[in-house]
Amino acid sequence: MTENTTFIKVIIVTNSLSSIAALSNQLADAVASAGATLVAVHARPRLPSTGVHWKDGVVVTTEGTIKQEEDITVTLPDGRRIPATLAGRDRGTDLAVLRIPTGSLAVADLGDPAALRPGNLVLALARLDEGGPRAAFGAVSATGGRWRSWKGGEIERWLQSDLTIYPGFGGGPLVDSTGRIQGVNSGALSRPFATTIPVETVNRVVTQLLERGYIARGWIGAAMQPVQFDKRAGLLVVSIEPDAPAAKAGLLLGDVLVAIDGESIESFDQLLDVLSGDAVGRRVRLDVVRAGDQRAIELVIGERPRRPRRRSRD
Amino acid sequence: MISEAFLSDAAARLRASVVAIVDQPRGGGRGRASRGGHGAGIAWRGDLFVTSAHVVSAGKTIVVTPDGRAIEGSVVGRDEDRDIAVVHAPTASLAPVTMGDPYAVRPGSLVFAVGHPLGVKDAVSVGVFQAVRAVPQGYGLAERRPRRGRSPLIPWVQADLRLAPGNSGGPIADVEGNVIGVAAMIVSGLALAVPAPDVERLVASLG
Repeated sequence: MTENTTFIKVIIVTNSLSSIAALSNQLADAVASAGATLVAVHARPRLPSTGVHWKDGVVVTTEGTIKQEEDITVTLPDGRRIPATLAGRDRGTDLAVLRIPTGSLAVADLGDPAALRPGNLVLALARLDEGGPRAAFGAVSATGGRWRSWKGGEIERWLQSDLTIYPGFGGGPLVDSTGRIQGVNSGALSRPFATTIPVETVNRVVTQLLERGYIARGWIGAAMQPVQFDKRAGLLVVSIEPDAPAAKAGLLLGDVLVAIDGESIESFDQLLDVLSGDAVGRRVRLDVVRAGDQRAIELVIGERPRRPRRRSRD
Repeated sequence: MISEAFLSDAAARLRASVVAIVDQPRGGGRGRASRGGHGAGIAWRGDLFVTSAHVVSAGKTIVVTPDGRAIEGSVVGRDEDRDIAVVHAPTASLAPVTMGDPYAVRPGSLVFAVGHPLGVKDAVSVGVFQAVRAVPQGYGLAERRPRRGRSPLIPWVQADLRLAPGNSGGPIADVEGNVIGVAAMIVSGLALAVPAPDVERLVASLG
């Protein structure tokens, strides 16, 4: 009799709890597996940020959380604190890359952000101290195509979620319910929303930062102003830097740029699109209107000079 | 597959053990500091209810049961450092909660809170467990003047969970409805709760 009663109780409890308990366990599994690839990055006073062990010996975090370029350390999942060196940083995509000794911890299991849909359950993870990984829980809010951050970086995919990016969660991964890492969360790119820099962008930026420490950006060395004339639109050249690609190509003040390689140019965004990606060194044909006549000018896109880094205030 | 029931069974069970605590300050309240406020309370065991120390200012308080009865209770235990108070309300007769072990909960596990955020009665909010340990440096807790249990080194149950005033003193529970902590405050958006074992220690010390 007693045994029967107990049996019935167990059945009831299992039926009402199994699905929610299973989901809870699955989320905890996802945190445990992805969390094993995370470090706490100590590159600013007091509050660390989170880093993802993207590939062996390479840690990715957000650029905005790196306040010192020397004496950086990371805390591993086992609590050890080891030195790391800054391999490169890119303000545009808010990504920075650190090197640590290979074999220090497990390597991230990367997913395919193209498969994420609004409503998918996701987690933002962090590691802030020698305790375990930390998690915030929510859903994918919106997805979309390529966009440009307000800092000027190209990002292959729009990935926004309703996750809370707590202090120190910047640089941590967006993780799906199976524990796969879908990108790196940045609180700085579009506050107050949690914006994720998707895997493909991180891969591209990591490759470039490891090669040369910065992202080369296309540059022609001319300032322009959008204008309309004769029912057309273009960019009026208002200044040209000496020895810049524009000067070498023979562009003159007062020229109106109307097309590049046959594609009409009416806004800065269109021009920036031409100058982004692997633009440096590419030969392009500019169609300009000079004194009422249209003519073609050949130009080789240069590399934007790197200004000395200003001391960050934020 | 997630069933339609989701958390509702565990939430219904826990809600039956959560009360509202209405403070009865001495002398009818002399300004904000003495007024105390409305919070939540938990039927812990027997006639004893647990709430936050900052919710009850005086020796007497009103306990409002889920079925709407208003019962006078008296504060029989208080730990300002841990922000916990124990209220004795002999005629409330509610089923007590079951206690869970926050130290056994894995990060990312679902947790839920029951309270009265901004006066909404018995509201449930869901989130995930983060940790039970000292609040990280840089969250604005360590930097504050330590008072009322805000010493930087005390362990807190920390959860990614939306709380609001009125949740204070209410439970934070695992998916089975076992109470792992008593909601106390929000720091940098993070929900902080007093670990259930610490609460049990205070209740046990009252005999």
